Amino acid sequence: MNKALEWYPIYLREMLLFRRKLFKLGYLFSAMIAPIIYLIAFGLGLGRNVRFQGSDYLTFLIPGLVAMSSMSNSYTWIATAFNLNRLYFKTFQVFVQAPISPSSIMIGEVLAGMVKGLFASVLIIIVGFLVPSGFSITPLFVLILLLNCFLFANLGVITGMLAKSHEDTATYSNFFIVPMAFFSGTFFPVDKIPNFIKPIIYILPLTHTNIVIRKAVLDTEGLISFSILIIYSIAFFIYGSRLIKNYSE
Amino acid sequence: MIQVVNLTKMYNGKKAVDSVTFTLKEGEVFGLLGPNGAGKTTLIRMLTALTKPDSGTCTVGGFDVRQNSAELKKIMGVMPQENNLDRELTAYENLLIYGMLHRVDDLYGRIHEALDIVGLLERKDSFVSHFSGGMQRRLLLARSLMTSPMALFLDEPSIGLDPQIRHQMWDIIRKARMEGRTVMITTHYIEEAEALCNRVAILSKGKLIALDSPGNLKAKVGEYVVEYVDGEGHLVQHICQSRSEAQNVSAWCENSVTIRKSNLEDVFIKLTGERLE
Repeated sequence: MNKALEWYPIYLREMLLFRRKLFKLGYLFSAMIAPIIYLIAFGLGLGRNVRFQGSDYLTFLIPGLVAMSSMSNSYTWIATAFNLNRLYFKTFQVFVQAPISPSSIMIGEVLAGMVKGLFASVLIIIVGFLVPSGFSITPLFVLILLLNCFLFANLGVITGMLAKSHEDTATYSNFFIVPMAFFSGTFFPVDKIPNFIKPIIYILPLTHTNIVIRKAVLDTEGLISFSILIIYSIAFFIYGSRLIKNYSE
Repeated sequence: MIQVVNLTKMYNGKKAVDSVTFTLKEGEVFGLLGPNGAGKTTLIRMLTALTKPDSGTCTVGGFDVRQNSAELKKIMGVMPQENNLDRELTAYENLLIYGMLHRVDDLYGRIHEALDIVGLLERKDSFVSHFSGGMQRRLLLARSLMTSPMALFLDEPSIGLDPQIRHQMWDIIRKARMEGRTVMITTHYIEEAEALCNRVAILSKGKLIALDSPGNLKAKVGEYVVEYVDGEGHLVQHICQSRSEAQNVSAWCENSVTIRKSNLEDVFIKLTGERLE
């Protein structure tokens, strides 16, 4: 096999496992359930008479739910699988003892995480088109969706490598992913948040995803957020690769 | 083929492996013998680039574990003590992923051959989670052989196997030796070490306390053992240098006495005061 395709067996393994899970009804529901509940509760219920940024609430909410869903699925699946494979099933040993580079392990896992994130996002997008709203997809939307999946899959690998137990993975999620889902502009624009919290909110990557994913074209604000997402993605990828390189049992 | 010099690894301030030094020749089967916690697995993990040593050096096939680990990984096969197969994949898929990671030529032919060697060809499409413990051990051995490695590391290969399968596994290991592969085995089965190994290293509390052929080790500590049960029901053993010495010892014992040839466990007990289990 070509050295440039060293990542492929890692990706293939995840896809073989993913394919089996896909046929289990529980998996489909677990990927969709939280965003659908939010869509019904906030979008169709609470937000019926709310308007943000000159459009109805559903048009505002659906891109945010897609961003949130792509984040949580790309992140959670990889963080959990990586952690379990490393600490309990020991299958990570097989990767470490193979003659491939740490970045190849990273690429294979991250691409698999992206597929899982995109799968969940597509389900939400389908629902988004079924409910009455002005929701539409632009090339920029697709680009940001891919970037968001890439970024959070990288973060998933980092969490999977750092967590010392399976419980740790849930702790990281509760401290970083859950607050990000609610305060980073998924359900309401970040300019509605009190000023003293804003510096923290603008550090969070999902905030920048939510800013760009709702734009039709890349203006100055969008370009800044897009650049921040790129910087986060590269930094997370390098850090994750270093963690794998320095791995020792 | 394998050179280990002053290799040391510490966990939480305790030395799991303490300044271990030895050399293995090409085509040799080398046994690491010791009780649980002696440092055997840690030593194998360092040699196979899974654990980073704190100090010392080790090279396999001339490749330094720390500096040339990618090259080293191309020439080694590992059968770990813990089952690290993907349970949700089939036997075939497990070998497919492993073979692709190691860039095995004629991959499909090699998978077929490896499964055939361990008698699992008919179960190639079964999920590993449906395999018995013994079948999973055999699949791990098949996987380690798939790359035709120059150095084969087997960590407790026959643990949990019934005697018949264990002997089949020994035949496979003997064949690997005949093919010129260097084999390192950790075990706490005495008969396994005696049946397979050219040389045996005895580890106790991370230290290498003896290293020689099984015959020489037994000759050094004594070739005969006198065994009897004392008045309190304890099994008492005396290791003797010759048969005549053993007969003299047995003459003053009141209870029924057995004289037998010594084995590696007797060597181990004599050197460490511990049993292997």
